[in-house]
Amino acid sequence: MTSKTPFGGDEIRKASRTTAAIQVFSVFLLAILVSVYVDISRRQSDLRDAVRENAMWSVYQFNREAHDLHHRLELMISSGRTDRASLEELSTRYDVVYSRMKILRETKFEQNFLSDPAVIEQVDKIQRLIFNNAPIFDAILAGEEISQASLTSLDYELAILSRETADLLVYTNTTISAERAEGRIELESLQRKSMGLIGLLVLSVVLLIFTLQRQLKGVQAAGVSLEAMADKLTVSYQAAEAGNRAKSQFMATMGHEIRTPLNAILGMVELLELTRLSPESAAHVRTIRRSGEALLDIINEILDYAKIEHGKLELEQRSVDLLTLAETSAEMMRGRATEAGNRIVVDLPYRWRARYVLSDPTRLRQVILNLMSNAVKFTAQGTVTLRLRQFRAHSSLWLRIEVQDSGIGIGEEGKEKLFRPFSQVDASISRKYGGTGLGLTICKEIIDRFGGRIGVDSVTGQGSTFWFEIPVEAAAAPHLEVALQQSKVLADLPKLKILVAEDNKVNQQVILGYLKHLKQTVVMADNGEIALERARAEAFDLILMDMQMPVMDGIEATTRLRASGGASADTPIIALTANASEEDRQRCMDAGMAGFQAKPISIAMLHRLISDVELHPARGQAAEPDAAVATVVPTVPAAAPQATETSPPAAVSVAARTEKLDALAARRQEIADILGPEAFDELMESFFDDAVELLDNLRREMSNGQPDRLDKLLHNLKGSAANVGLADIAEKSQALRQTTPTLKDIEMLSKDIDAAKQSMAA
Amino acid sequence: MKRLKPLLTFLAVVLTAPHALALDAPKGPVILTVRGTLATPNVDGTAQFDLAMLEKLAGRKVVTETPWTEGKTEFSGPLLRAILEAAGAKGKTLLVRAINDYFAEVPMEDATALQTILASRMNGKVMSVRDKGPLFLIYPFDLDPKLYNEKYFSRSVWQIKEIEVKS
Repeated sequence: MTSKTPFGGDEIRKASRTTAAIQVFSVFLLAILVSVYVDISRRQSDLRDAVRENAMWSVYQFNREAHDLHHRLELMISSGRTDRASLEELSTRYDVVYSRMKILRETKFEQNFLSDPAVIEQVDKIQRLIFNNAPIFDAILAGEEISQASLTSLDYELAILSRETADLLVYTNTTISAERAEGRIELESLQRKSMGLIGLLVLSVVLLIFTLQRQLKGVQAAGVSLEAMADKLTVSYQAAEAGNRAKSQFMATMGHEIRTPLNAILGMVELLELTRLSPESAAHVRTIRRSGEALLDIINEILDYAKIEHGKLELEQRSVDLLTLAETSAEMMRGRATEAGNRIVVDLPYRWRARYVLSDPTRLRQVILNLMSNAVKFTAQGTVTLRLRQFRAHSSLWLRIEVQDSGIGIGEEGKEKLFRPFSQVDASISRKYGGTGLGLTICKEIIDRFGGRIGVDSVTGQGSTFWFEIPVEAAAAPHLEVALQQSKVLADLPKLKILVAEDNKVNQQVILGYLKHLKQTVVMADNGEIALERARAEAFDLILMDMQMPVMDGIEATTRLRASGGASADTPIIALTANASEEDRQRCMDAGMAGFQAKPISIAMLHRLISDVELHPARGQAAEPDAAVATVVPTVPAAAPQATETSPPAAVSVAARTEKLDALAARRQEIADILGPEAFDELMESFFDDAVELLDNLRREMSNGQPDRLDKLLHNLKGSAANVGLADIAEKSQALRQTTPTLKDIEMLSKDIDAAKQSMAA
Repeated sequence: MKRLKPLLTFLAVVLTAPHALALDAPKGPVILTVRGTLATPNVDGTAQFDLAMLEKLAGRKVVTETPWTEGKTEFSGPLLRAILEAAGAKGKTLLVRAINDYFAEVPMEDATALQTILASRMNGKVMSVRDKGPLFLIYPFDLDPKLYNEKYFSRSVWQIKEIEVKS
């Protein structure tokens, strides 16, 4: 932004100031103009109110009558006709003059000519003249004789009257003319004044238009430049956004890349710990494990943060058992706490307002674990208390969870930094205690998303209390069986060493995740042959054997193991299969397997299997295989393979189908819950990778014309899809097994898988 | 037709009856003469009225201001319309003439459509010539203020002596 806008803000401001000034001036002018017009119109309305007689006309008439009277008398005298009728006629004319005189006195005239002293004097003079001559006319009317001398004297008098009225006419004319001239001058001056005002007003309006135009131009120019700036900003923003996205993508990829080998390291370390080691080596291995776990935590936090920054954090609403949540969370932290010499106390409400609430258990647990792991980290030889409380506020139920420690505490300035990304209380903290400084940021983001609050009360040296409050909704208690299972998940389960023979990568990950969740030690074998080798070399407490495997299948591996008498020759072996026919079952029993487990595996099944092993540790004790099978009741009823395998799709009722879809969704949920969202994502990724490979194989087999292998591949695909809860893909794969699939069918399936992948990524 | 004749005669008599009642001759001094085409003249083809004859006709009282009088003044006298009817006068214009031969043209409508009177009394007193008498044409300013302007002032003739009806 080096270019300066042609019309800057200053220009616009200046123009608008001028505009305002002119506006004020115009209003002022307008006010004056209005007052002038009010004046003019008041004068005019005065005229209208008093419609009056014309003074000039009256005076003229008066003069004419007076002159006429005199003229008649002269005619009478000169003609000598002074008879009665003529005299009476003369008298009438005198009356007319008399009335005219009165009119002059009484009438309201337009022109105020009677205000002039000269005129008044003249009128008075005339009136005296007229009144003085009244007796002679009264005498005429009375019928008296009138002498010639009186007539002569009257003639003289009337001549004066005629002259005087003529003078009055002149005076009146002069007065009225003067008055008219004055009025005109006054009017002209008013007009000039108003013209001047109008001129000024027009000028100011013109100026106003001019400045407004200038202002408008400025605004337009500013608008254009703003638009350009906005465009530039958009481009920059997009570039920044793209960069950020790339960064996030990189972080996700790196996290994934790091986590995979790290998982392997940790797995191996765990196995290593089980072997007999010298105390020195054991200490080293422990260090490796701890470092690995710390590294994993850090990577998980970074990935979580990347996700939050990407706005991908979504909450679900499920029934959560708060009691279980608190207990399992405490349980998970107990190990670490004990290492640091800390005691964990769970403080639950005396009476629950709602033990089951609608919320997101995974995220809730994540926040609790984060706060607790901080508490454990910063406390030595102390107590960490997890406290749950519920209260009502703003007409909704709130859940308050506190994690109180007796650790080092945090100062005032530290508290402010706490919830900011990448910040720790101070640099020495990160040196001493490590950590990314992202944990609390993630917690805050999650709690924000819940619509809640998170905070800390702390005094340096006296420990801290981290707390958060979120609004929750009371939920109905879940099904009793599930609740029992959940509460039992971690309780009283023996720690076994389990060998799993499974070729499908997706299934491997699920089983591995589940077993780890159940705190079991797991060794994974990709096929029967590897499994056989491991089982001969090491003693396992339990072997889970897939029936269909490349190189060596489950039956053969079992038969050989039992025959060979290796380290695990007597270990109970449970068959894992999607094929649940009676014949298969018999084959398993014949081969010496202890039980028979339908796939996909649920956590409840595994729990049961492990519990059973504790009850019947030796092979011989699992003498009632039918009973074992009978006890293995899938928690997800519709996922039972019988329904999927033996019924043709057309026969599956709509209700059953919906139920099955729900069941598979529930399975997906279970996996996500137990493995955690990241592991679940990875699992899905593996599934899709596998699926691509399987589809390629399918295409190849199609072109090779080997339909019997097609079925195997479709079976495999169906198995993994069901395992990860992709109901429709599982169903479609199964449907293709009932028919002879064409290449087009395979492409359709491929498209469906792509679509599923897209919807997962979204 | 023969049978109808008496009826027609009767109708003619009835219809012309008001006109047939000729105006009485004036007994007192004549103060108003109506000239023109008259149905019922009384003296030499004109209709002449004395004060008593005029005051017998239908009239009205007007209380109004005028430019020529001080304050509210009461004028009373016969309606111009009644005088013209009494004379059986027909025409379009009236020339209203004063003693001094001043005259004004008054349209017949002013007599027929308006309650215009020839005032013979002002504040109840007969008007002398010295006081704008004997008759003063007064428009009904009280009924219609719109009449109060110079146009009607110039028709407001005083000292009236004669009305000439022109067709």
